[in-house]
Amino acid sequence: MKYWHIILIRAAILALVLGAWELAPRWGLVNPMLLPPLSDVLVTLQIQLARPTVQEAILITALEVIVAFIIAVPIGAAAGVAIAEFPYAGAIFKPMLFYVFSIPKSIFLPMFILIFGIGFQQKVAYAAFTTAFVVLMSATAAVESVKSDYILVARSFGATPLQILRRVYVPSMMPVLLETLRISMIFNFTGVMIAEMYASRTGIGHLISNWGENFQMPQLFAGVIMLSVVAIAFNETVRYLEARCSTWRT
Amino acid sequence: MRRPDPKIVRWGILIALLVAWEVVPLTGLLPELFLPRLSKTLNVLWIDLDKYWNALLVTLYEVVLAMVIACGFGILAGTTIGGIAVLRDLLLPVFSSLYAIPIVILYPIFTAWFGIGSESKIMFAGIYGFFPVMLSTAAGIRTIDPQFLLAARSMGATVFQQITKVIIPASLPTVFGGLRIGGALAIIGVVVAEMLTASAGIGYLVTLNRTILDSPRVFAGILCILVLSVAYDIIARRLERRMVVWQSAGRRQQQTSPRPVSQGAPAPAAA
Amino acid sequence: MQYVADLNAAKTTGAAIEIDRVSHVYAGPEGGVPALSNVSMKVGAGRFIVIVGPSGCGKTSLLMMMAGLRDHTEGRIDVHGAPMPKPDPERVGVIFQEASLFPWLTTFDNIEFPLSLRGMSKDERRRKSQPMLQLVGLTGFGERYPHELSGGMKQRVSIARGLVQDPPVLLMDEPFAALDEQTRMTMGHELLRIWETTNKTVVFITHSLTEAVYLADEVYVMSPRPGRMIDHIMVDLPRPRTYEMMATDTFGRMRDRIWQQIRKSH
Ligand SMILES: Nc1ncnc2c1ncn2[C@@H]1O[C@H](COP(=O)(O)OP(=O)(O)O)[C@@H](O)[C@H]1O
Ligand SMILES: [Mg+2]
Repeated sequence: MKYWHIILIRAAILALVLGAWELAPRWGLVNPMLLPPLSDVLVTLQIQLARPTVQEAILITALEVIVAFIIAVPIGAAAGVAIAEFPYAGAIFKPMLFYVFSIPKSIFLPMFILIFGIGFQQKVAYAAFTTAFVVLMSATAAVESVKSDYILVARSFGATPLQILRRVYVPSMMPVLLETLRISMIFNFTGVMIAEMYASRTGIGHLISNWGENFQMPQLFAGVIMLSVVAIAFNETVRYLEARCSTWRT
Repeated sequence: MRRPDPKIVRWGILIALLVAWEVVPLTGLLPELFLPRLSKTLNVLWIDLDKYWNALLVTLYEVVLAMVIACGFGILAGTTIGGIAVLRDLLLPVFSSLYAIPIVILYPIFTAWFGIGSESKIMFAGIYGFFPVMLSTAAGIRTIDPQFLLAARSMGATVFQQITKVIIPASLPTVFGGLRIGGALAIIGVVVAEMLTASAGIGYLVTLNRTILDSPRVFAGILCILVLSVAYDIIARRLERRMVVWQSAGRRQQQTSPRPVSQGAPAPAAA
Repeated sequence: MQYVADLNAAKTTGAAIEIDRVSHVYAGPEGGVPALSNVSMKVGAGRFIVIVGPSGCGKTSLLMMMAGLRDHTEGRIDVHGAPMPKPDPERVGVIFQEASLFPWLTTFDNIEFPLSLRGMSKDERRRKSQPMLQLVGLTGFGERYPHELSGGMKQRVSIARGLVQDPPVLLMDEPFAALDEQTRMTMGHELLRIWETTNKTVVFITHSLTEAVYLADEVYVMSPRPGRMIDHIMVDLPRPRTYEMMATDTFGRMRDRIWQQIRKSH
């Protein structure tokens, strides 16, 4: 299949889904109370975006996401590199990471609330906590993926540690690094959302959860659309950068 | 000096954590409201054993059904999409894009549609687990060596035999890997959903007791979920190893290190 | 130099494989990739034939066609008097470069795989696979999984699997290419021993000129893509072959002749 064929078919599928969303409630195939037509949702989205409370919520959520990310990445990366670089630490902690993977981290939310109360700090702390693990795991994998081969070659040419860092680690890890950031951001966003939906007085997650409880379906869908668009847009931007980096890498 | 066996160190860390759980609140370093003593937590768990047991049964029921949805549809869709080139080119990138959406924001829709009973949890956790299972199965199917099929054909295998005798056994490791991840995510999804809006289940007990500031009972719930998810992981890993005895030593080793996120494997859930 | 088929050799025993003016073009943009051009050969029953040629000249394609695993655009391929529209394991066994053993099956089960496809009972299968295991020198390794075997042992299993249905023709596509030099020599020697005890017709592809001369009754040399037959060399070294023969002048001359042909064709 040619590239533009693929794009065309995808566009057709998207149009089909969106069309069904618009028409099914209008024709009474589904209850419009449960699934409001797409156009209603988009109108609601426009109205909501103009409201100062919603704008404030967006701002707060954005701040939480950014701050949590800034805290989580260095901590997680440092721990990840440590585990990859020191085999003994790796032997101890790596098997433990699996349990960390399968434990629902949301069960620790009550602790964060007890310690930080219901506010900015609690959301940031919880999201950073969950994100740090993701960063840790992918950083370990990233370091291990470049370690042995390249470095041996670089050393044999007499490279200093600093040169190895600059000439080997950074360039060869660039695409992996972006991938790590991208995936971490997905989970960071999820972390903030869960924290806001669980207990909060503001933020988009809080609004969504309220709209759901009060059966305000157009508002709820408007919120979901907005968040999805932001998440996908971010994700695609980073993936685009990744692709750019990989072309000069190989 | 020889360093102690990592396994022993791990047990040491676990014991130290349990001791700290008991001792730290006693010394007043952390108030008991933040961290009630281990003995107190176990005590309330013992007193309310019935209640926690019933809640655990509800949670398990939801987890099992969510697992069936996540793994059943995930493996089915993953095999189809990964195995058929046209669908793969068309849909796989789309699904990877959709994977960026924090699925938890859909949960309010599910409660509006299905109520706050078990159905909304099952549906939510099912979808929560579906995507990673599907993506990892699709990735795994693609790694089946075409030489296997060529060899089978040269020995006169029919299309049906190629599927039953080559494709299915060759994809077993991937499928079991998917089952394990799908199960773990189903547990995570159910717990998150129960904590957000529910009327039963362990997650519900945790939230209920948090709002009335009954810390020991909150931690009793946390303990239940910790035990549940760790036990699940151990059992799933054992089963996986037993079912796929033929995996080479090299591949088994790969599996004991964290899945590299960069290789298309689903990232761990942060929820 | 246009190659003219030396048919006399084949006439003595009757042809096991007859390839008559076969050409093939892989479908693709701009008319596709021409892979084979007017290839003819006649393989006598019980002969050991080796095909050499540069990478990408179409050796694998030709072998796949003989095995009924791939279609060809033009010409005729007969194996024991009939074409091969689809694989027929009772006529032709194939052994691939990577051992392509199924990692989820033990050695026994791998060897018995073609038998299990025909629904043969377990006892009967074992009765057939046991002597094959012995033939390739792996007695006692029947319950091992492929990952527990060395590269050479895997190829032995692969050969046993190719032989288990007792097909008169065995096609081998660079079967020892992934092995180290010493293992490769031993495996070549072993293969000759097996061939001598089983009386198969073998078509063997290799990159190694030494291996070619050491193993073959006849060596065919192919040109770069699209592959044509540019030379046909009769190797009249006595059998059984020994490692000492490699040091002889005759051996060296024949290897040089093949090398010159390949070099000239570029
Ligand atoms: N399935 C295919 N589709 C298109 N081209 C192919 C296919 N298989 C092989 N080719 C091309 O045909 C030529 C011959 O390939 P092959 O038979 O594998 O050569 P050899 O085994 O001598 O190295 C190569 O240039 C290869 O790229
Ligand atoms: Mg080849």
